[in-house]
Amino acid sequence: MGLTTPDLSVNIGKIKMKNPVTVASGTFGSGQEMADFYDLGRLGAITVKGTSLEPWPGNDYPRTVETSSGMLNAIGLQNDGLDAFVNEKLPFLRQFDVPVIVNVVGQSVDEYARVSEVLGKTEGVHGLELNVSCPNVKKGCLAFGNSPEGIAEVVSAVRSVTDLTLITKLSPNVTDVVSIAKTAVEAGSDALSLINTLLGVAIDPWQKKFRLANITGGLSGPAIKPIALRMVWQVAQAVDVPIIGMGGIMNATDAVEFMLAGADAVAVGTGNFVNPMAAVEIIEGIQEYLMSTNVSDIKQIVGVVGK
Amino acid sequence: MKGIYNCEVIAQSEVSPGVIRSLLRCPEIACQAQPGQFVNVQVSATTTDPLLRRPFSVHAVYPSEGLFSLLYVLVGKGTAMMTKITSGENISVVGPLGRGFDLGNSPDAQHILVAGGCGAAPLHFLSDRLCALWGCKNVKVLVGSRSKDAVLCEAEFISHGVEVEVSTDDGTYGHHGLVTELLKRHLDSSLSTLHSPTRIYSCGPNAMMREVARIAHEAGVSSCQVSLENNMACGLGVCMGCVQKIKGAVPGDTSGTDWHRERVCKDGPVFNAEDIIWD
Ligand SMILES: Cc1cc2nc3c(=O)[nH]c(=O)nc-3n(C[C@H](O)[C@H](O)[C@H](O)COP(=O)(O)OP(=O)(O)OC[C@H]3O[C@@H](n4cnc5c(N)ncnc54)[C@H](O)[C@@H]3O)c2cc1C
Ligand SMILES: Cc1cc2nc3c(=O)[nH]c(=O)nc-3n(C[C@H](O)[C@H](O)[C@H](O)COP(=O)(O)O)c2cc1C
Ligand code: FES
Repeated sequence: MGLTTPDLSVNIGKIKMKNPVTVASGTFGSGQEMADFYDLGRLGAITVKGTSLEPWPGNDYPRTVETSSGMLNAIGLQNDGLDAFVNEKLPFLRQFDVPVIVNVVGQSVDEYARVSEVLGKTEGVHGLELNVSCPNVKKGCLAFGNSPEGIAEVVSAVRSVTDLTLITKLSPNVTDVVSIAKTAVEAGSDALSLINTLLGVAIDPWQKKFRLANITGGLSGPAIKPIALRMVWQVAQAVDVPIIGMGGIMNATDAVEFMLAGADAVAVGTGNFVNPMAAVEIIEGIQEYLMSTNVSDIKQIVGVVGK
Repeated sequence: MKGIYNCEVIAQSEVSPGVIRSLLRCPEIACQAQPGQFVNVQVSATTTDPLLRRPFSVHAVYPSEGLFSLLYVLVGKGTAMMTKITSGENISVVGPLGRGFDLGNSPDAQHILVAGGCGAAPLHFLSDRLCALWGCKNVKVLVGSRSKDAVLCEAEFISHGVEVEVSTDDGTYGHHGLVTELLKRHLDSSLSTLHSPTRIYSCGPNAMMREVARIAHEAGVSSCQVSLENNMACGLGVCMGCVQKIKGAVPGDTSGTDWHRERVCKDGPVFNAEDIIWD
């Protein structure tokens, strides 16, 4: 007992992950820059940066600022667009034995559907994460994620054009995350991921001005972990689909806490910046935790707290 | 190749008020780093405040000893914590990162290095390499600082064997005024007589580099490179946080926009001054 290697595999819809650890969209680029540090095939899945139909220039600089145990970002979803992703980024990722989840963004319901339709027919894409929760763009995104109607519209439009596993990424910037989660599932979402960043501002007291060019940004990092844990726990009680939990995960202990709260898998975001090896160290740490607590299958710990 | 290294701090010393030189053991970085590249330092492994790593240029390398050094100014929380690290302790360093200076390919080019404040940090490593590559007689360094006690690396540049000129804002040492005035003077006096190409390399406050770029452009200097220090979150090219506006549309962009954004941490920190849109 105790010494046999535990089963770390989990399924998120049709996506088979060899372990429950992925990376959070926007904190890993398209993987290429991180491949110098480790074999990307060790990850449970790779979730890439938000991708829109056409290239987006993003917001003005400064775009990031550090806060107590966290950071604000207002990148504004700068990305090279769908064609560049499919033609220039994806071929690199196909070399690795790892499912690829593409984070999809759009300024209209139609844009979400068109990006998703193309990706659904593209070899090497295993899942779509619908970002209806980015707080940093004026049009689209959070405008949809804020209301059950908006979510329902985006998810069903995408559902009707693809059979790929659909993961809806929820915003914490809402009063009732549970009702939004239920709506996403009813509209056809196979899984949920949460949380995206929390809307915040930072002020420079000496220059008496906002620190971010965009004024507001999204808060991530250890500072948001309690909120993320609470939301994962609440949503896990209310829905039957798999959940990918994220928000301030820096080490294996954090990751285990999310799974105990009800997450089937976890994503490492800001933690990648602090320790580029964080995701693989977390995989190893989860395995050690399971062995030291005599658990043979990771699925056994999901949601055991608060049931 | 870049990596995460656990580096032993060999020594830290205050070289002028509020400026610290740190000597670190890391054979990989010492052997691989190129002038203009930087490292990302975790200032404390035990706290999440400060959370992010701090970027610092490689100031010098000693490949045969497996050592490299940083030169940093005490600015805020992170650098204050760094000063507390004692010899023998280890810190986590990611690097070498970014794209460094292009040292040119002409044996008879004149190289002018323009440093503002702590911009001397990467230029020190650069002057060392330029000397090794092209000979010190072709290298000149202009060092600008606030006042006499803030002048950085003058002795080290001289010990490389390069010619150094200093300016101070308050006139307590060297030329009274801006380092860009020294540059202008130098170009005015030498360009008419020199037939060899001139290459300028600069690191310092943005306002200074912008002026360096303008002067270089007006003088028709063949290459002017600047090293930017935009705020960074990841330093790895994955967050898109450190972007700088660069002239020219991205290939395939039909929207009519004649600029795009590049990542300072990955596509830079060294850029051709001509390409930069200074805000
Ligand atoms: C490529 C590069 C090379 C650099 N090389 C040097 C060097 O050789 N010597 C040196 O003294 N300084 C250098 N800097 C600046 C140095 O990174 C900052 O002074 C340092 O991060 C300040 O940290 P702090 O916690 O003391 O300050 P705080 O003001 O408390 O920092 C708060 C946040 O802002 C960031 N930050 C603040 N100022 C800067 C800045 N100018 N550039 C980037 N991030 C900043 C910090 O990383 C941190 O996230 C370099 C910056 C870059 C981008
Ligand atoms: C710099 C940065 C960029 C991000 N970009 C995206 C994005 O493109 N799409 C998305 O759905 N979430 C994006 N996020 C949110 C993260 O995926 C994640 O939900 C959030 O950061 C919380 O996790 P963390 O605390 O571990 O970072 C971004 C976060 C950061 C810090
Ligand atoms: S700091 Fe993250 S892309 Fe440059």
